[in-house]
Amino acid sequence: MHRPEGSTTADAAAPAVSMRGITKRFPGVVALEDVTIEVRAGELHAICGENGAGKSTLMKILSGVYQPDDGELAIGGRPVRFAGTRDAERAGVAIIHQELALVEDLSVAANVFLGREKRGPLGLLDDRGMQVECGRLLESLECHVPPGTRTGSLRVGDQQLVEIAKALSLDASIVVMDEPTSALTEAESARLERTIHRLLARGTTILYISHKMDEVFRLADRITVLRDGRHVCTVDRAATSPRQVTGWMVGRDVADHDGGRGRTRGDRLLEVRDLTLPWPEHPRGYRLADVSLDLHAGEILGVAGLMGAGRTELLETIFGAAEPTWTGVIRLDGRPVRFHHPREACAARIAMVTEDRKRLGLFPDLDVAGNVSLCSLRDALEGGLLSRRREEELVAAPIRDTGVKTPGPHAAITGLSGGNQQKCIIGRWLLTRPRVLLLDDPTRGIDVGAKAELYALIDRLCRDGLGVILTSSELPELLALADRIVVLAEGRLTAEFARAEATEERIMQAATGG
Amino acid sequence: MPAPHASPRGSFLLRPGEWALVAAILLAIALTTIVDANHSYWFRPLESLRDIARNTALLGIFALGATVVIIAGGIDLSAGSMIALSGTICATTMLALKPAEMIGFKPVGPAAVAAGCAASLLAGFLVGTLHTWLITAVRLPPFIATLATLVGLRSLARALCESTTAALTPTKNALVNVSDPFFKAVRDNVWIPVAVFAVLAVATWLVLTRTVLGRHLQALGGNEQAARLAGIRTDNVKWFAYCFGAMTASLAGLFYVANESVAQPALQGRGHELNAIAAAVVGGCSLAGGVGTVPGTVLGAIFLRVVIDAVSKIIKTGADVYEGLIVGVVVVIAVTFAQVGQIARGGRRLLPGALGLCAIPTLALLAGAIVAMTAGPRAGLAAGLAAVVLLGMLRLWESRTAA
Repeated sequence: MHRPEGSTTADAAAPAVSMRGITKRFPGVVALEDVTIEVRAGELHAICGENGAGKSTLMKILSGVYQPDDGELAIGGRPVRFAGTRDAERAGVAIIHQELALVEDLSVAANVFLGREKRGPLGLLDDRGMQVECGRLLESLECHVPPGTRTGSLRVGDQQLVEIAKALSLDASIVVMDEPTSALTEAESARLERTIHRLLARGTTILYISHKMDEVFRLADRITVLRDGRHVCTVDRAATSPRQVTGWMVGRDVADHDGGRGRTRGDRLLEVRDLTLPWPEHPRGYRLADVSLDLHAGEILGVAGLMGAGRTELLETIFGAAEPTWTGVIRLDGRPVRFHHPREACAARIAMVTEDRKRLGLFPDLDVAGNVSLCSLRDALEGGLLSRRREEELVAAPIRDTGVKTPGPHAAITGLSGGNQQKCIIGRWLLTRPRVLLLDDPTRGIDVGAKAELYALIDRLCRDGLGVILTSSELPELLALADRIVVLAEGRLTAEFARAEATEERIMQAATGG
Repeated sequence: MPAPHASPRGSFLLRPGEWALVAAILLAIALTTIVDANHSYWFRPLESLRDIARNTALLGIFALGATVVIIAGGIDLSAGSMIALSGTICATTMLALKPAEMIGFKPVGPAAVAAGCAASLLAGFLVGTLHTWLITAVRLPPFIATLATLVGLRSLARALCESTTAALTPTKNALVNVSDPFFKAVRDNVWIPVAVFAVLAVATWLVLTRTVLGRHLQALGGNEQAARLAGIRTDNVKWFAYCFGAMTASLAGLFYVANESVAQPALQGRGHELNAIAAAVVGGCSLAGGVGTVPGTVLGAIFLRVVIDAVSKIIKTGADVYEGLIVGVVVVIAVTFAQVGQIARGGRRLLPGALGLCAIPTLALLAGAIVAMTAGPRAGLAAGLAAVVLLGMLRLWESRTAA
């Protein structure tokens, strides 16, 4: 893919982006140290690294969100200093953030032109002009939503395309994508890939951050690996393998996880029959319909399904966190149960690790110990009052067992990496001595090394006799961990596979209703 | 990437911001001692101390309630009206029980006093329950729910006062005189409200730092959805918070009645809800919830009252005229002060762009006007000009370092 010579490029031979000796310090942390990267014009350059490796910080420096403490940045051979994102946009750099930065209450067109609104002859907003142009941009991205739609009502995949349309309307020659597929369905990911190819064909340079090795190896021309804020290497895709890149990311070789062998299945713990959860405001009418499944002690039951298939709703209904309007039967140890509040589920020794750690799991104002002890504070009482010493003793075991790396029990939870935060939350629930553990996409946004540790932890818990229901947006994860896999499609259970029968193709077929 | 900060529970003493408040309080007292032309802090220290202690205790009692509500991630705007309602309920209850004694300015007896006070505290509980119901069941935002009671409860108190006096006394009246010796004793012995405040502060501190409920309050304020999914009955925790907020305001209302020997629903406690929120914010509470301490709020209340007292001593006018101005300025300065490190590191500019340019004359005009009214026009002009010069220099320094 060769970049056609654009009028804005200063020098055809110059790299599109050149970052030399970039250093960025935050109080107490060196986020980037002496990082040097050159990105060729027109290539797709993947940036890989564990969480906390400095990928996002580097991209925020490139797009003007942060200013480097040291080092030089050049775009198309011209040295630049960005005081803010506006400067970066003017230089042709656009970023599509991991957490989408759209104003949900504004229309799609208003978001695309936010801050650069078109005006009519009287200085009033030219809504029609913006909508027409926005519609044209969206069509070119295979995004068929009317430009006047409220942005918040769009699916995540479409919102992402709106961000890309924004980048296109800026005429950006360099587009940064920060984990763009982390919230997309397979179909949406495929559409995004087609968009990427179209951008590359127009000569756009793309910097692509991702954890997903299959994507990186399908798309990238070259791959840069960062680790602990330092540059490890930059290689041609053809000259390396996913295994090798993963090894560079974690600084050691990672073996593929092959847990699950030799687990013994115990008694039936949980029985779900004909579970239906209505959804009155939706044309489908239900979030879940006639779902039946069993969970045994010492078994991991995988729940596969696309976004919106009802995975989270299924776990929330079992856990008593959904609207109490569901019908059907849930039996725990053969006795019918109906939880109206998560508290009752806790008392019945069911635990749930929620999806979206930041929004639904973490307490940023409590320290590590406070986050871990939250569900079992009664065990930290001494004479009716919380005892700091007893709390420390209480959390020591789960912190050790789950392998949380923390400076101490009273460190700030926000200072830990995503993987360690997730281990803290699992530790919180282990303290309640659960028998059924519901894990809703527990490795989302967690780096490769921590993922492997979590897999081992889940496997160990299961061998200790817990019944685990695991959902995941990554099929290989389910295939590696689960004893059985059930598949949800649009709220219905469409298939159940034993470990030996399950393949990615068969699951995808059931999940897409094919 | 947020800076890793030390755990708030890491030290047994105060946090850095709270030490800064202690220093600011001492500085304000020292300045007043020197600048005040009568040197009343020096010559009549006990009298001044008594004044400040009474005012601090009255503010502090319901500022503790505001703190708990704010830590739980809510806001209670109705405290001032709750104070008025509480006083009115206490007075009208006694009037209903002992009309002849109340009209004749005679003692009504301990049973009637106890009934009046109990009725007030019960009203606090009911108002707190109403708030929680509006917020959790009707799902109003806390700001709207308590805004409704802010305007509604004062009106209710006035109506209650007029209709009760119309029924039980010869004339309809907008106030009820309270002259039982119990209330006189509370008025004359300043250490009673101070002791109540101290006990309440220690109890609140224990609840917040050493009980399951306190931890749940923090968790609720920090992340409500996560708290529910962690099995915390968030609605019950909110119920406690809003009842505590309203009941502390009820308690303060009783002290206001004692202090002024009258229940006067049109005026009592007016605007005080914002002073309580201000004390909590100056003491380090975050309106986003989850963050705040009892020592911080206590120091915040002391600081506000010390500064108000200092200004009234120095410029010799009624403290209430300048009270709002002082509270406003103190809140802005205190919250800015908490971010001073970030600003000094060059992370942010105080006077950016055209807004910064317009802010310079705005701030100078404000400073000049305040000084002119308190110290004369010549001093005001000088202060205004000095402000322009200082802010101009700050602006220059900022644009120099940003470039």
